Amino acid sequence: MVTFIIRRLVGTVFILLIVAAVTFAIFFILPRAAGETAYGLATQYVGRNPTPAAVHAMEQTLGFNQPLYVQFGRYIKAIVAGEHYLGQWCGPPCLGYSFKNQQPVWPQMVSDVPVTLSIGVGAAVLWLVGGVAIGVISALKRGTIIDRLSMSVALAGVSLPVFFTGLIALELFSYKWPIFPNVQYVGITTNPLLWAKNLVLPWIVLAFLYAALYARLTRAGMLETLNEDYIRTARAKGARERTVILKHALRAALTPIVTIFGLDLGLLLGGAILTEVTFSFHGLGLFTVEAINNQDFPEIMGVTLLAAFFIVIANLIVDIMYSVLDPRVRY
Amino acid sequence: MMRRRRIGVTATCAVTAIALAACGSSSSPSSSSSTTTPSGPAYNQGISSVINPSTAKGGTITYDDSSTFDSTDPGNTYYAHVWNFSRLYATPLMTYTSTPGSGGNQLVPALATTPGVVSNNGLTWTYTIKPNVKFEDGTTVTSADVKYAVERTFDRTVLPNGPSYFQLLLGGNASTYPGPFKDRSKNLMGLTAVATPNPTTVVFHLAKPFADFNYVVAIPQTAPVPPDKDTGANYQLHPISTGPYMFQSYQLNKQLTLVPNPSWNPATNPQVSQLASKIVVNFNVNADDIDNRLLAGDIQMDVAGTGVQAAARARILSSSSLMKQADDPLAGFEWFFYLNTKVAPLNNIACRKAIEYAANKITLQDAYGGSVGGQIASTAMPPTVIGYQSFDMYEALSKPNGDPTMAKSELTACGQPNGFTTGIAYRSDRPKEVAAATALQAALSTVGIKTTLHGYPSGTYYSNFAGSPAYVHSHDLGIDIGGWAPDWPDGFGWFDEIANGNAIVPAGNTNISELNDPVVNNDLAEMESASSTPALRATLANEIDHKVMSDAVMLPIVYAKSLLYRSPALTNVYVQEYYGMYNYGVLGTK
Repeated sequence: MVTFIIRRLVGTVFILLIVAAVTFAIFFILPRAAGETAYGLATQYVGRNPTPAAVHAMEQTLGFNQPLYVQFGRYIKAIVAGEHYLGQWCGPPCLGYSFKNQQPVWPQMVSDVPVTLSIGVGAAVLWLVGGVAIGVISALKRGTIIDRLSMSVALAGVSLPVFFTGLIALELFSYKWPIFPNVQYVGITTNPLLWAKNLVLPWIVLAFLYAALYARLTRAGMLETLNEDYIRTARAKGARERTVILKHALRAALTPIVTIFGLDLGLLLGGAILTEVTFSFHGLGLFTVEAINNQDFPEIMGVTLLAAFFIVIANLIVDIMYSVLDPRVRY
Repeated sequence: MMRRRRIGVTATCAVTAIALAACGSSSSPSSSSSTTTPSGPAYNQGISSVINPSTAKGGTITYDDSSTFDSTDPGNTYYAHVWNFSRLYATPLMTYTSTPGSGGNQLVPALATTPGVVSNNGLTWTYTIKPNVKFEDGTTVTSADVKYAVERTFDRTVLPNGPSYFQLLLGGNASTYPGPFKDRSKNLMGLTAVATPNPTTVVFHLAKPFADFNYVVAIPQTAPVPPDKDTGANYQLHPISTGPYMFQSYQLNKQLTLVPNPSWNPATNPQVSQLASKIVVNFNVNADDIDNRLLAGDIQMDVAGTGVQAAARARILSSSSLMKQADDPLAGFEWFFYLNTKVAPLNNIACRKAIEYAANKITLQDAYGGSVGGQIASTAMPPTVIGYQSFDMYEALSKPNGDPTMAKSELTACGQPNGFTTGIAYRSDRPKEVAAATALQAALSTVGIKTTLHGYPSGTYYSNFAGSPAYVHSHDLGIDIGGWAPDWPDGFGWFDEIANGNAIVPAGNTNISELNDPVVNNDLAEMESASSTPALRATLANEIDHKVMSDAVMLPIVYAKSLLYRSPALTNVYVQEYYGMYNYGVLGTK
């Protein structure tokens, strides 16, 4: 087991290195291949109407006139050992320096993590509990109005984008009926009650999207499991219906749900982008959007690496869980 | 000098009138009546009057921003709304008069006691700074702090965002000076073009005369910075205040909180005031949500000052009660098409005139949001620029749907009676420009001018496409959309970059028409000569405007307007013409 984990961790490092190389290539090699000069790249970092001397100085500072392998080596070295930028120390893991904000990228992202976690964890609990519960009820009431209604809501949840449901939720519950007025992120340590109150709408909106998917998956899994012979056997042995459903049927149906849940947590940044933009919460999602809007390449590269890291770690955890459940995958 | 002094007094009264609603007792009645609102607000009343004048102190003013400031460092910003907002904590040598109407375009001393004293044939500008201005920590501002503020803007690797006027205009070692962060001279004050003979005098030595230098020192870059408190790129996190407010906290690009600066003396700068007990700016807020929060009263101002989004615009314009709380001022910039003088057949002036006549100004205005989004333009220079005079050379106002007869006549004159083919360049990620290009294409087709549409990304529009003359020539981009807002509101600020033959450059070109008219070039040079006066500059600006239009190198679209919503909770609200948005320096809250 330990060997398996070590092997996967080493693989994780290589994957991250490849992601770093690909993002570096996208932002620095492709423009050069398309004819962009080192001078042209540097102009993006010196504001409006720069003097040629200022552009040349920035070109030197950023090392755009050095060979690409030197630039990439410097980028990787900064991640491992840190780097000085314009007199500021960017400690490891230095994922670059934002010349737009004139700050190292990593501390900015770290300060945004609690916001994304707050949204993501709360929403994940909601969508897991809600989605599974709806799925189980739908399966048990198959063909009834309850089943159809649940699946219709689930279909709506999958179909409606967060920026739509979010704006509707704000319009209704923040402006028309101000149950949640002036929704802004408040730190959990600052005011736990306000933290929770202001997160209710983002949680519901994000959970609505995911819960729909989980409800449909749970329903399908439950319907399949309920037709298994061992369920019939359990009932024949006189087991209580509650035991049959929760202990035998749901347990088996949950296996793929757990796998997807792990991956969804890794991919949470995608959902967080729309939720944070809609509710103006300053998490990693909004950070990503701002970075793209500003064409802030170091920030985009940083957040890409961080997202890749989360996904790889989520995959690793899922694989480890699989290896625990099924020893065959260890080999 | 008397006139300048009187402007200063009027300005003082204007702000005081905002605050006391009583300045009229000691000034002229007309002045008083134009700056107060005795009978409640009305649509557009904030353009010419002060809404809710009050001296009431206390309360919190909350601003939202759909994006972020380019920087809160006064030496590192180029956004108009940040220049406006920065007056709350930064005091440059000169500033703009705090008053509604055209007076808001007039310069007055801020940190300086008077406008610059010119000597040495226009090469030397001397400013005396007020002796009792203090930083937030209580230390007195000296001329060395002003010199240092200018010096630090020379290091574009640390402060890349602000204008480069000092690098371009100053003499001495300005062309090679690296800035104080790399300066290795004794005392790190090595910019020889700026001298500080005593603690209250700062002297600028220019490379050549520049009559608009007072405008240059009104840019926040001259706001003093104490050298021992400068943290370089991190100075944006807490600029040391010389204004009525100071930074309490700043989470970069998330939230900024200002509180009153106890060391600020109101007598030192009557253009700003200290009424609210707290000012909060939230960044990166969803643009539509800003409008909702503004209309719901959760916030008091959209700090970007570019107007509400389409959804809120519809709500405001369909509600008389909301409309009373709105203003639709000229924003200070103009949208237009450049008509290139080098791309055949537009190298023939008659072909360019055919386009001027054929264009349908109504559909072009619709592309920019109709009359609320902009006023049909007939000149190359907008009404907010000093020296503007209305004229209608190509019947944009008298025949806004276009004049096909005149267009065909010009086509015949240019030897293309059946029309010709050329390209239209625009920024494809700007829906209004897409609509404008499409509208122009439709209008020109009615007289036989066939156009092909070429959309480009806005990020590289000037560097690689429309701003690259070689690209424009090789792709037959005879018509190129553009817009302009000047750094200061006179003819030089408006035309120098977009109509001066000397401004044509291989990349990042903003004279996209490639106009190189000796009359225009000479007028611009005369504007900045040592003998230039404000009256002469106004006359020359009007002359250039006529010349540019008679050369038919610009097809004006609209003088841009912004539909602004003024929160009923605010006091002393009015549009400052220079910024084209509300004056953030004087706001209070009920």
